[in-house]
Amino acid sequence: MPAAKCLMHWHPNPGVTLNSQILAEACGCAESLGGTKDGRWKTSIIFYRPMTRDGTAAGGAQQQQPNDVARELLGVALHERPGLYFSILRPQRLVLQADAAFPLVMEKLQSYKARVTLNFEGFQYQLGDFCLRIGKCVPNNSETLRGIMMEVEYYPLSSIEKSRAIMEDFFDIWQETLAKKSLPGRFIHVESNFSDYGLSDNYSFQHTAIQYATCLQQLMAAVRA
Amino acid sequence: MECVVQGIIETQHVEALEVLLQGLSGVPKERVRVHELCLKSGPNLGVVPSEVRLLCDLAQPTPSWTIRHVGGAMRGAGAEQISVLVRTIVESKASNNVLRYFYGIGYKLDHEVLKVGFAFRFQRGAQFTVTVTSANKMPKLHATDEAVAVTPGIQLVEITAPAAANNYNDVASSVTAFCEYLAPLLHLSKPGNSTGIVLTAGAAAASLMSSGGAKTL
Repeated sequence: MPAAKCLMHWHPNPGVTLNSQILAEACGCAESLGGTKDGRWKTSIIFYRPMTRDGTAAGGAQQQQPNDVARELLGVALHERPGLYFSILRPQRLVLQADAAFPLVMEKLQSYKARVTLNFEGFQYQLGDFCLRIGKCVPNNSETLRGIMMEVEYYPLSSIEKSRAIMEDFFDIWQETLAKKSLPGRFIHVESNFSDYGLSDNYSFQHTAIQYATCLQQLMAAVRA
Repeated sequence: MECVVQGIIETQHVEALEVLLQGLSGVPKERVRVHELCLKSGPNLGVVPSEVRLLCDLAQPTPSWTIRHVGGAMRGAGAEQISVLVRTIVESKASNNVLRYFYGIGYKLDHEVLKVGFAFRFQRGAQFTVTVTSANKMPKLHATDEAVAVTPGIQLVEITAPAAANNYNDVASSVTAFCEYLAPLLHLSKPGNSTGIVLTAGAAAASLMSSGGAKTL
């Protein structure tokens, strides 16, 4: 059973532009806590939009769709399980777990088209019972920074409830360490409502996919703000 | 892609076919109980109308789901000359909310069928899967326990083997050669080109059953 994880995103102070210095400082922070860098990681989120028979809606987020057509699908390819693929239907609160051939099925069906891919990528640190993955969010084939986030994994527990207190303690230490650097913003964890998606307290890869979708939503909201 | 041929056999001769397949393959048979749901895209979804099959394997203690897209048959002079159908197949395992997922993205249930029977999976020049199944329809939506045979007394036999663009001719030859062994009991041909039952199947079946089955080749 996968270990419990918690995703956080960087929320810059109002009026502050996001820059990669934050990422370097956060990595430095992980090292100052005793973390040892042990590799790179990359998770991708792919936005799918419906294609209609009259060809009008292929890219238009604002265009009217028939009621029974999803306006948007999110595909999630997690770094830790390259053989799996997740597709999230947010309005229906549904996360599908499929295998790596799923995007090919979608391609064959020609009903939804992959429009934009965002990659979350960075470095991984081992820190006792924790694993920290600190990374940036950038569009595929571009270096335009869309956000900074981190993933905290606590190896000994897979229960979200049981791991909550220790995650909060870790988060407090992390914020305290980062505060010393006087950076223009802070890391925020936004709870994903797993029960809405029919997921239990036992952590699964589907939980991670949902957390990435939530994190992305927050990053985009922060950019818009 | 895959190479595929199909044929039909009377249920009374299925036991003989099983004996023959057991002897030819040398592997134990597997139970098949698959709930197949065929979904079609809604009226305005997709560049072209599309179809996807969701297969729920009920033979396992915990049912598992597979998404299956069957592509068009290969065309052209090369395809005409071979006696098997070559088509693209894409499959993905999926979680058990896959039906709700496809409803959510605009697909509608077209029909559903319960396939019950057995299969042999073995290597013979290619990785063969031979399934012998009866198709059953449900009187009520998803009521697999109440399914009744669509064609009582007749079962479908299908041979499939995965292939690639650079070896489908070899795979097709292997499938064709294997079909020869089954010829006394049934004719196998490209899907949609049914050649009916074999009139001498009764005698061949009787012979097989009396001789105690074929030996592993």
